[in-house]
Amino acid sequence: MKVHFIYILLIISLALPRWANAAYVDLQSGSLMGMIHATVGDSFFDNHHFSGGMGYVPKLDNHAEMTLFSLRYRYQNPYRFNFNIKGKDLQLSPINFGTSLLYGKHSDLFLELPEQYPSGYYKPTALRIIFNYQSILHISENTEVYFDISVLEVGLITYVREPEFFMDNYDYLGLEGITNWGFGVRRHF
Amino acid sequence: MKKIASLFFIIALSGCEYELSPWETDPHCPGVSVEENLARLTAFEASIGKVDSYRVAIIGDPQQYPGAFEDTIEYINTLPNVHFTLVVGDLAETGVKAEFEWMCKAMSKSNIPMIPVIGNHDSISFGQDIWLDVFGPFDFAFTYQNTRFVAYNDNQYEFGVPPDRDWLHAQAQPNEGEADFEHIIGVSHVPPWDDNEGFDASLSASGYELTVHGHESSFDFWERSDVGLPHYITTQNRDPGFGMLTIYAGADVPLQVDNCTRECTTTTPRVVDITTPDPQ
Repeated sequence: MKVHFIYILLIISLALPRWANAAYVDLQSGSLMGMIHATVGDSFFDNHHFSGGMGYVPKLDNHAEMTLFSLRYRYQNPYRFNFNIKGKDLQLSPINFGTSLLYGKHSDLFLELPEQYPSGYYKPTALRIIFNYQSILHISENTEVYFDISVLEVGLITYVREPEFFMDNYDYLGLEGITNWGFGVRRHF
Repeated sequence: MKKIASLFFIIALSGCEYELSPWETDPHCPGVSVEENLARLTAFEASIGKVDSYRVAIIGDPQQYPGAFEDTIEYINTLPNVHFTLVVGDLAETGVKAEFEWMCKAMSKSNIPMIPVIGNHDSISFGQDIWLDVFGPFDFAFTYQNTRFVAYNDNQYEFGVPPDRDWLHAQAQPNEGEADFEHIIGVSHVPPWDDNEGFDASLSASGYELTVHGHESSFDFWERSDVGLPHYITTQNRDPGFGMLTIYAGADVPLQVDNCTRECTTTTPRVVDITTPDPQ
């Protein structure tokens, strides 16, 4: 089941972009987006990127099996830092920020409040907002790999409310307490 | 450039966690389980023997404000004669791992045992799994200085069942050959529900003298006119506020409950006529 799911996800991520005439396909791992998360997207007004995707987490000791769906936005600043490693010219885009609306599909989570609760008792537990930063390394004209740091919405809110708590208890200005990392590869068409 | 990039990645990797989703279930929470804290409390009791009086802090609903929770814990550390703290639920707001980790970090600052009970917000998402893993059982009881504390789960929306009255009764009975408890105190997040008919009378008949709760985000202290079992509700912690229970040796000496911000004021239960709507 797990292998099949990941295989299907890869097939879709390769076929869908051409069918949808998308500009790029993106495969990410971690940073709150699943063990693997495939998105297809396009660029608008040069620096603004929108994408939609699907991810998967297998059943693990620390996680229930779950399918994830996302809508994502990323601002990618055109500034690139050029450098050379062993004769190969590379470019690094250091200024990229984004946000994702993440939906986790699982029976323990809900979009609509279950009927036993009074109206408005809880907000949807299956929807989360994630803010992220990416450092993008362009390894060829069409291919880039990136390192992603993300913050869950409740982390950002709590940090803004009580920065002293995080600064006193976590490293790197307290950001250690709210951030997560992941990585990915993006292929442009 | 390579050195700068390497340094950046090392800092980033050491400063963050590789998380697969917001719904992971393995928070890093050493030393906060009920079992570990009760072991600390038992060891403390053995070291001091029987005392004339002691105090129990009651903190409720610290969710979303780990800094205020930490401040309260550190303030309680400075107060004399407080032997342990009851945390009456809602450590998390949305039941995700990160929220529990922040609260665990705050709890690690306590110099005295902290005994938590599960709240309704702790029970959503995968919070129930996290709670069992980090803190332990939803229902448990312990005896300290011959007073029985019975912690029970009454988050009925989330668990679908009311508290087990037979279990609550059984926990209030001393073992055969042991002396009667001087006091019996119920502890849960949500105060007794209006639709749980006869629950107060059942607790009272089992010998319960007081119950303590959170959930309502403001101080309250009430009892039904037909039963007379007082229910104390502490405010949400970020007020900042907490309750303080003073217990004197001897079954005949009444329990004292104070509402505390930084100063504490003794409070007494208001009587709620049974014909009025449920106070919760």
